[in-house]
Amino acid sequence: MEMQHSDVGEVRKVTLKGRLDTAGVDMIETRFGAAIAAAGKNTVVDISEVTFLASMGIRMLIATTRSLSRKGGKLALYNATPAVREVIETVALTDIIPLAGSESEAVSIVTGQA
Amino acid sequence: MKHWSEHLSGLRSVETLDGKLSLVLNNTLAAVDDGRQEILRFIGAVDTMAINRLETVFEELVTNVIRHGFERMSNQSIHVVVERTPGAIQLTLEDDGVPYNPLAAVMPAPAQSIETAKIGGLGIPLIVKLSSKLQYEELHPAETMAFRPRNRVIVAIAV
Repeated sequence: MEMQHSDVGEVRKVTLKGRLDTAGVDMIETRFGAAIAAAGKNTVVDISEVTFLASMGIRMLIATTRSLSRKGGKLALYNATPAVREVIETVALTDIIPLAGSESEAVSIVTGQA
Repeated sequence: MKHWSEHLSGLRSVETLDGKLSLVLNNTLAAVDDGRQEILRFIGAVDTMAINRLETVFEELVTNVIRHGFERMSNQSIHVVVERTPGAIQLTLEDDGVPYNPLAAVMPAPAQSIETAKIGGLGIPLIVKLSSKLQYEELHPAETMAFRPRNRVIVAIAV
């Protein structure tokens, strides 16, 4: 599991790559939380190269989004593969974490310019 | 946090017989990935969405047993049989952990907000919703058996 982050203007952009399963979450959970919740910025997460998403990965996304929310920040995911999208929709994650079709759409959602 | 068992090999045995794949998984989270790779090798070319459902259901079932059903550092195991049935791939999992019926689990209510959303507990809903068949049986094997499974889960993924 790999993770990178950068800032696009005022928005933090995080890119995840690999399998977000139990082993993958073990590898990046601390860094993911530090890059997002600790920074406290509105955040978009590129999941186009996340090839698998299990319940542990969803748990990490919810916990981090909640921590960020308590600092006043918003988080949106974007560019899910069809397989990952199905898992996200199966647990109705989009009710609490937006899933956008592109980076620009995700940025609009978190900055309130949608 | 690292799981205590991560240094153990996931697979105790692998056997293909009569068109079925039989795996014995050790009490370690490495069993998830080791078992997954054997299953993918066995089933061959299948629609990517069906593969993802199969991998998800397998991951959630195995991690549930290891995290919640087994004792720490025990010699407990999960016996898995994989077979192609008409229109589906079927997994039969038997384990000697604490009896647990996934069909009796209470489904979490839809989250109203990120503040009130339940963190965790999404494994069983994924198993229930992504499978085309899910059966559970609590077993009572004889004391004389070498492997004494307490749970049998039969789950199928439509292909």
